[in-house]
Amino acid sequence: MVMIENVIRIFGRAPLAGLGAVFVATLIFGAGLLNAENAPNAPERIDLSNFPGEMVEKVVVPIPAEIFAVLEKLDEPDWNSGIELPEQGDPVGERAILALTFGSLVGEGFIAVQAKNADEIQTIGKRVLALSEALGLAAAVRPHSLSIIEAAGNSDWKKVRDELDATQQTVRTTMEKLRDDELSGLVSLGGWLRGTNVVTSFISNSFSEDKAELLNQPGLIEHFRGLLDSMKGPSANSPQIRSISTGLARLEAIIAPSTEISEEDINQLRDISRTMLEEYYFEKKAAETGTSIN
Amino acid sequence: MNYSNFKIPAVAVALGASLGGLVYGYVNEAISLALEAATPYVEQGFEVREDNWSGEVEPGKPLLVKHQLFRGNEYWFWAGTSWPGATIKVDIFDSEGNSVGLESFARDSFAGVRALPQKTATYLIRVVAEYSKTGEGLTDEERGANDPVEGVGEFSGSLDWGLVYGYR
Repeated sequence: MVMIENVIRIFGRAPLAGLGAVFVATLIFGAGLLNAENAPNAPERIDLSNFPGEMVEKVVVPIPAEIFAVLEKLDEPDWNSGIELPEQGDPVGERAILALTFGSLVGEGFIAVQAKNADEIQTIGKRVLALSEALGLAAAVRPHSLSIIEAAGNSDWKKVRDELDATQQTVRTTMEKLRDDELSGLVSLGGWLRGTNVVTSFISNSFSEDKAELLNQPGLIEHFRGLLDSMKGPSANSPQIRSISTGLARLEAIIAPSTEISEEDINQLRDISRTMLEEYYFEKKAAETGTSIN
Repeated sequence: MNYSNFKIPAVAVALGASLGGLVYGYVNEAISLALEAATPYVEQGFEVREDNWSGEVEPGKPLLVKHQLFRGNEYWFWAGTSWPGATIKVDIFDSEGNSVGLESFARDSFAGVRALPQKTATYLIRVVAEYSKTGEGLTDEERGANDPVEGVGEFSGSLDWGLVYGYR
């Protein structure tokens, strides 16, 4: 019932019911703004072709929880079926691959928290710490890892989500301080890729245009392609990074601006993102496409 | 643009940490003010992201931040500037430049704007920090900030700014 009300509120399919929800929302927001002063009216339109200011270059990549929040309003996914924690191996290898894996592991954590699966979250919390040791960042990550494990034990899901976000941010900030901006970007890419794969898997099993629209993210793909294109050093030419770069180009070709994303597109996005994850996160599955989750 | 951090004492560290914010002994003061503006909305169920934008800018020079939003989520963006007497405002536009902010507020050093995206796409958040006071128009606090003590506190011609966001 809650899901249906959310759909009505957000997507406006039942105007009268929607009006009621808007009224409630207005009351809630009104209470929060009692002490606020209304801002001077914003211009209704700005001329982007002649903008007198400056474009900020930094891109903030949404965490998987943001897109999961919408999917939760549109559907009732079986989040537990989306958890797919790979077998634990020794976290060794190129730092670029470790950074991607770290991001995807945090993405896995966001799936597990949607599922409210405390056992999996605690396992992920421990693996996050092990991986951070391999990256030389254990001191910064340990407090977050412990908080994740404790919050999962207390079923404090909001706290788990906050700590997963904080973990990723701490790792990225620390990498940037060490002038490892490339690695920082790869952490974001790993998380985005894992989130994209699970979302496309769910949508593929229960397609709707509203859900497919969530994949309309050409700006983020362009950002990640730029990140890989600008990589320097031996990792830039590793087969894994080259393969992921090719995968991003394929995703970009599907998610073209002003194009509706079809069911077939979603299936392709699921399979391509899966193949990309198999470069460093999942075991490669020969002659199999996608995953079957409900 | 110089994205240097402004170092402030432990009180602000505690404020940032209370929202799961920045650690390591120093925080960005403009971000702290933006997070302060976010506090009432956290209680309403908004999840405030750890990642954010910040830097320095000339007074009155608008900044545009590109950001991916998802239809179905509700967003607030909060901006802050720490220079005494400076003001800040924040608006949101779609990729064509049309305003999509549903409500907003501005109170001197921080401001906010709410959006409920009608489509999943890239949006543009505009931040403008302003500071024009001089001479007798300054308050004591502002005058203190502008009385150089061995070069500290002198207005350098640029303002710090910070932008955070939350969703639900």
